[in-house]
Amino acid sequence: MSSRQSSRHLLRLQPLCLTLLALCLALLDWLPLGSGTASAQDTPDFFRQYCVSCHTIGGGRLTGPDLKNVLQRQKREWLANFMMDPRGVIDSGDPYALKIFEEARKVPMPNLTGMTRDRVEKLLDLIEAESKLEKSQFKGLQISNKPFTDEDRSQGRELFLGHRRLKKGGTACISCHSVQGLPALGGGRLGPDLTKVYERLKGRKSLSAWLVAPGTETMQPIFKTHPLEPDEIHTLVAFFEAHASEQPASPAVNRVTFLLLGLVLSCTLIFVFDSLWKQRFTGVRRALVEQYTAKKPNSPQEH
Amino acid sequence: MSQHVLDQFMFVALPYVCLFTFFLMTIYRYRMQSFSYSSLSSQFLENKHHFWAVVPFHYGILVVTAGHFVAFLIPRTLLAWNSHPLRLYVLEITALAFGLLTFIGLTGVIVRRLSSSKVRIVTSPTDWILFAMLLIQTGSGISNALVYPWGSSWFATSMAPYLWSILKLSPDVTFVTAMPWMIKLHVVLAFLTIGFFPFTRLVHVLVIPNPYLWRKPQVVRWYGRK
Repeated sequence: MSSRQSSRHLLRLQPLCLTLLALCLALLDWLPLGSGTASAQDTPDFFRQYCVSCHTIGGGRLTGPDLKNVLQRQKREWLANFMMDPRGVIDSGDPYALKIFEEARKVPMPNLTGMTRDRVEKLLDLIEAESKLEKSQFKGLQISNKPFTDEDRSQGRELFLGHRRLKKGGTACISCHSVQGLPALGGGRLGPDLTKVYERLKGRKSLSAWLVAPGTETMQPIFKTHPLEPDEIHTLVAFFEAHASEQPASPAVNRVTFLLLGLVLSCTLIFVFDSLWKQRFTGVRRALVEQYTAKKPNSPQEH
Repeated sequence: MSQHVLDQFMFVALPYVCLFTFFLMTIYRYRMQSFSYSSLSSQFLENKHHFWAVVPFHYGILVVTAGHFVAFLIPRTLLAWNSHPLRLYVLEITALAFGLLTFIGLTGVIVRRLSSSKVRIVTSPTDWILFAMLLIQTGSGISNALVYPWGSSWFATSMAPYLWSILKLSPDVTFVTAMPWMIKLHVVLAFLTIGFFPFTRLVHVLVIPNPYLWRKPQVVRWYGRK
């Protein structure tokens, strides 16, 4: 294709590019960016949905700090900025943010969708009001104290692998997580390895609270509508507690094995294609010539 | 531009623009330039490397694309299948193998078009853009499969609800915003490919007769001047 043809070809796309650009700008204009005013009624629901997996108000530390009287420990403005963009404040090197990041065993608070200025102010009002109560509704969860049995651990493993379905339809842990001792290629790697999660989240209470409403940005949308049942949390925690003393599996070995198996199968498929169509040229041409010569006995032979 | 605005642009605005363009321009091109619905075979110009590039590419991309559609349409059934690790591994290895076939075939297609002067002449700038997009898309897909297993399960859990939310006109980007950048790249490029589809030789998939997948091979040659 000559350069003239090429430029003519590209020119034909110009109106399209302009139309697309206009559409993008128009759609951006329609988007509800940063909108949404939080009502006072839905603030406790929001807190229950997004905050209780890591925080209590007067019930002690979970993954994140106990928020009782947090407004006496830090300025309101700082807290508001942190709640709206925790990662940004941590990345900026703010000493207080780094301190609570370290105390949370380097589990960062996620940037929550819909955390507008209005929402933040209402949440801070709620925390302030709940802090004044002797017993806040967010003091903490009633976690089972029953001792773990072998049956609990076994059922936890079945839940982790997906053999036993989660009652509310949540996804089995193996989809995104691995743990030491899984068969063959191990578990998923979209999320972290959970071999040491019992230790990392400082034991039964914190881990159970985390599983009530998983707080990461990836898990939240899934388990928001498909929460784990208390008995499922009990057995999963039993399973993780049993693995706490082991070392996490190396992902490199599983990845190389997975890649090699994929390569072997793809090479096999290429050989299958070749053997299926090995006569692709000679076969077609020969058949045509034979057909032609059969019709006309005096016609020239194939060269 | 804040991350929130960027996410809204990439996972709400862009998908709708691309889907709108796809439907509008596909119909428009079919009505106005029906005879341009072709893959413009170049087999007659070079057939030594043609087979090794085109066959793995086509069977690879068809299976991989079909797999994405299955996970989108019946995610619960797919998760039920994956509930036994052995079945999950079989599915993932098969999907990876067909992804690798696509990548091998596509690389072959590009090398062939670069190395054969006759084929290079009939390759338009649109073709080169499409090849680049498909190469990045296939590469990122394989990387996602290797770095973030098990894609079949987390696609059914996170991507299928996101895609359904787009189709239902109530987009929920929370499923996708926390994903690693390589997965985001794969999603964005998928929508860009859908939007670019009507302007490329990809349109042939809409008119190709189904028996082409299992018919006997035939030699293609151009009739007329080119």
